[in-house]
Amino acid sequence: MEEKEVKLEVNNLKISFRTDAGKVQAVRDISFKLYKGETLAIVGESGSGKSVTNRAVMGILAGNAIKEGGEIVYDGQDLMKISEEDFHRIRGDKIAMIFQDPLSSLNPIMRIGKQMTEAMLIKGRVSQKNSRRDFNTTLKLLKEAMDGAFPNEAEKNKQLCSDFDRFEFKHIALEQAYNRATEAAEDAASDIEDILFRIEKEAYKDVVRDARSAVSRAKDSFDRYVVYDRAEELKGLLKEAAVLLKSSIPKRIGAFFASFRGREREEQADFAALAATLTSIRSILTETLAFPMPNFFAMGYYLTFSQEPLPALGVEEMNTYLHDYLSEKFMSAFIDRAAEALRYSHEAACERKRVAIAKIEELRPVFEAETLEKNACYAAVKALSAVVTEGIDRLEIVKDNLAYTFPTSLEAAVKLYFDGVVRNKKEQDRYASQSKRYEALVAAGKTPSYSVAEMDLVDLKGAREGILSLLARVTENFSAKIAKTDDYHAKADALIDYLKEKASGVVFKVTKSMAKLRALKLMDEVGIAEPRKRFYQYPFELSGGMRQRIVIAIALAANPDILICDEPTTALDVTIQSQILELINRIKMQRNLSVIFITHNLGVVANMADRVAVMYAGKIVEIGTAEDIFYSPAHPYTWALLSSMPDLDTKEKLEAIPGTPPNMIYPPKGDAFAERNKYALKIDFEMQPPMFRISETHSAATWLLHPDAPKVDPPKAVVDRIARMKERGGIHD
Amino acid sequence: MTDDIILKVDHLCQYFKMGTGELKAVDDVSFDIKRGEVFGLVGESGCGKTTTGRSIIRLYDITGGSIYFEGQRICAGTRTYKDTIRAAKAAYRAEKKEIAAMRKEGADEEELAARTKAVDEELHRVMAEQSANIRSAIDDHKNCNKKFAKAQMDKVRETYAEKRAAESDPEALAALEKEEKEALRLASKDRIMNKIQMIFQDPIASLDPRMTVREIISEGLVIRGVKDKNYIEEQVNRMLDLVGLVPDHANRYPHEFSGGQRQRIGIARSIILNPEFIIADEPISALDVSIQAQVINLLNDLRHELGLTILFIAHDLSVVKYFSDRIGVMYFGKLVELAPSDELFAHPLHPYTRSLLSAIPLPDPIYERGRTRIVYNPIAEHDYSVDRPTMREVSEGHFVYCNEAEFERYTAELS
Repeated sequence: MEEKEVKLEVNNLKISFRTDAGKVQAVRDISFKLYKGETLAIVGESGSGKSVTNRAVMGILAGNAIKEGGEIVYDGQDLMKISEEDFHRIRGDKIAMIFQDPLSSLNPIMRIGKQMTEAMLIKGRVSQKNSRRDFNTTLKLLKEAMDGAFPNEAEKNKQLCSDFDRFEFKHIALEQAYNRATEAAEDAASDIEDILFRIEKEAYKDVVRDARSAVSRAKDSFDRYVVYDRAEELKGLLKEAAVLLKSSIPKRIGAFFASFRGREREEQADFAALAATLTSIRSILTETLAFPMPNFFAMGYYLTFSQEPLPALGVEEMNTYLHDYLSEKFMSAFIDRAAEALRYSHEAACERKRVAIAKIEELRPVFEAETLEKNACYAAVKALSAVVTEGIDRLEIVKDNLAYTFPTSLEAAVKLYFDGVVRNKKEQDRYASQSKRYEALVAAGKTPSYSVAEMDLVDLKGAREGILSLLARVTENFSAKIAKTDDYHAKADALIDYLKEKASGVVFKVTKSMAKLRALKLMDEVGIAEPRKRFYQYPFELSGGMRQRIVIAIALAANPDILICDEPTTALDVTIQSQILELINRIKMQRNLSVIFITHNLGVVANMADRVAVMYAGKIVEIGTAEDIFYSPAHPYTWALLSSMPDLDTKEKLEAIPGTPPNMIYPPKGDAFAERNKYALKIDFEMQPPMFRISETHSAATWLLHPDAPKVDPPKAVVDRIARMKERGGIHD
Repeated sequence: MTDDIILKVDHLCQYFKMGTGELKAVDDVSFDIKRGEVFGLVGESGCGKTTTGRSIIRLYDITGGSIYFEGQRICAGTRTYKDTIRAAKAAYRAEKKEIAAMRKEGADEEELAARTKAVDEELHRVMAEQSANIRSAIDDHKNCNKKFAKAQMDKVRETYAEKRAAESDPEALAALEKEEKEALRLASKDRIMNKIQMIFQDPIASLDPRMTVREIISEGLVIRGVKDKNYIEEQVNRMLDLVGLVPDHANRYPHEFSGGQRQRIGIARSIILNPEFIIADEPISALDVSIQAQVINLLNDLRHELGLTILFIAHDLSVVKYFSDRIGVMYFGKLVELAPSDELFAHPLHPYTRSLLSAIPLPDPIYERGRTRIVYNPIAEHDYSVDRPTMREVSEGHFVYCNEAEFERYTAELS
């Protein structure tokens, strides 16, 4: 099976809230993985902990939240433990969120446009800076590895890397100019299209004004690699259009009088001629836009190092020519060397990993003792953290979350143990003294009106086992890494792609006017009519659906890595909902985004999700691919959800789920759903079911899946519905 | 279901003042609701479905058209009549101008005098007719409740007159008189609008947080003038029982309940006055999935038990399909299609309905992957420049807002 890149990993997350009535256990030990480019839908009722989980991922839990344990690993960092300052760099930029209530996530006293562009401008600068930093560090690491692999050719290594850096600069400059020009051309083309439509419909209002701005926008598209040899022709046409427009506009001096006659004057304008000119301008623009993009990466090299001018060829021939030129002169040598460097780096890291494994073996007895010794343990933590961190191969692009978070995880685990030791002692003392007093009262013949609270002890054995299992996991992970053999050429290619990606991150420079244009485009994309007018309006002037679109546009503007959608379409009607889901899906595909989609609408889930997690009372009760959940649901709660929603073919009475979710201040001892579950077994009331694996992708937490459990069929409504769906989908068993 | 029409909405227009112009929230909408049925009203937000519901229950004073409940006009607007007068006046002026022009040319004086007379008469006739209409509309709109109360009082008097005639014992007569007085007092506070009740979307916002559940549910009875504590208590408990709550709940406050229970309280409040017609304005949108089914089942049970007619406003089409007998689809203040629910989903005719139906997400991943949304673009879809559209019956009970050419196309499509 192809291994997918894990973007986000949540392990054993536990969160509760302090309230007046007691501690509400909102999230009780949930784990899931989010892969790159997939949508994970989390389904559940309100209070099931789905929003809390995602707020923890965003780092925006309420003040009374207690993070009781677990980890959220993103990009080699445990989000539960990093500082607020570090979180600042991730929140919104890497992990963005769309909220349910659009009004509370917009600033009421700020114009829409300002709110949209503000983040773009700031984040644009920051991401440019970060890309540059990543680029530099990676290149530096690569050079060091090269030095290691070819110790005698330090000079050549340096030359190669600095060459790469230099022509990458040129590449950046070229691509930036190209991007700006294409964007202008695209805008001008679409504006002209709109104007032509209006001229055709004889709606002349503002046509002249808009045509003027479109023409001036078209002027920005003069880039050598966008318009090529059509430049002269285009220039001529633009001039013609300008002349036409000028003649049709009343002189500024006569503006007052013209305002009376304005309509007539505009109608007198030679719209037929204007339309003809605009049509030819548009056809040139669309033609040039259809040209493939030149290989700027190779061109950058050619222009930097070749003394000769570019050969006069068509775009495609030119690209092949440049590509060959680059491979011959530079790239093949560079890739070979990079591959060697990667091999060297990997092997060196393997060596260090072996050291780390040996060290773990050596220090394991410290944690295996019956009672742990504090100083020895912390010394071991320090030593192990150092060797494991050493053992990481820094040139790996896909970061190995386990090793990166090892120091913090280990320290937290050890701290849990020693805090527990102190706490248990206190607790035992309290219990002893209180029961003594209680017994004294009883001995004196009184009946005390209270009882002594039970001891709330930390499971020291469990804590110790947690430490050991962490060590075992790292050892296993490292051994697997050592045993793995890679295709270093492919890895070198991937590394260069990574460098290019970072470089193109530097290319996307955001200026104020660009931010505005992008905001307008985004607003257009999310289906807001008259974006130019909306840009200067305030949130209160818009309807709920419009506001939600603005919020989505803002979240997308930062170009995030992970998008968390917290019931974004609940407040919208079907048509708009459908549009917004399409929008999120499209953007997910384009940017290879990972999406966490929280909703309670199963229809929406079916539309969006690759995988589905069903949550109830702070636990994941069933997780699997969308097909697993909808075609072979296993948990009674999933059955209940499916049968309580009418679909278009439902005729019989709906099977409502009786009762309400349990109070999470006193979570039930057994399965939380047992109370409302007509299929509940006796054991459901006594013991929490573990996750039973049904298939590679599908597992559910219900005792019904235990081999000893009686065979229970899903309710008839669900079976019927699945049969109908299979028939419609053309699936036969 | 019978053919007995309980509510008739006739050319309803509801315009709101907006800056300089007017927002036509509901524009010339007509439909009938039969006794005992559930009539679903769907459409995107801002299409006027909620406004329609609120106009029916007179939360707004309607701009034009009329609404009849059990044959009595309960809402009436004057805009259409005024428009007719305006048009007649314009026609009158044009005619006068023409006559003046003809006189200049030296036409026959006698003929012109006859024509002037005819024109004057025509204007007077229209004005008198429309003024009468306006007067009656205003009268109906203002006094429908009074008239109803009067009729109720007459009815009470009649029954007691009969009873008194049958009775001879003076003591019993005195008791009857007292009873009659009380009945008359209650009847005088009876309103026809009490027969229409509303369930609101947001169960949190629609319940007063400072009133106990008993006060909330019994408020209607108290306003109607019921003073008998025991009777109120009995009724409140009966309502709580009907909606699946227990009498213990009556002393609590709304915040102590979950969303589903609050919505049940809202429903209990709406049925305590024995209404015949309920307007449910998105009653389940704010609820959790597992609770939605409970509320839908409850409404369904109540409908059969109490013989209610329901106007069900919602945007979740699968729920509307499940719950409603007939469905009306609204788009920008217009009713564009009206059909029995199965028929509507089987043969959607209006392009907007098709677009709306294509947007419903179903809990079926494979179907979802293949689903394509149809985009509705009214400018590209219809050409109404020559032939104006009206509501036309394409097949039995299936109405579509279309013009002649479209009507022919739809009919061909159906057969």
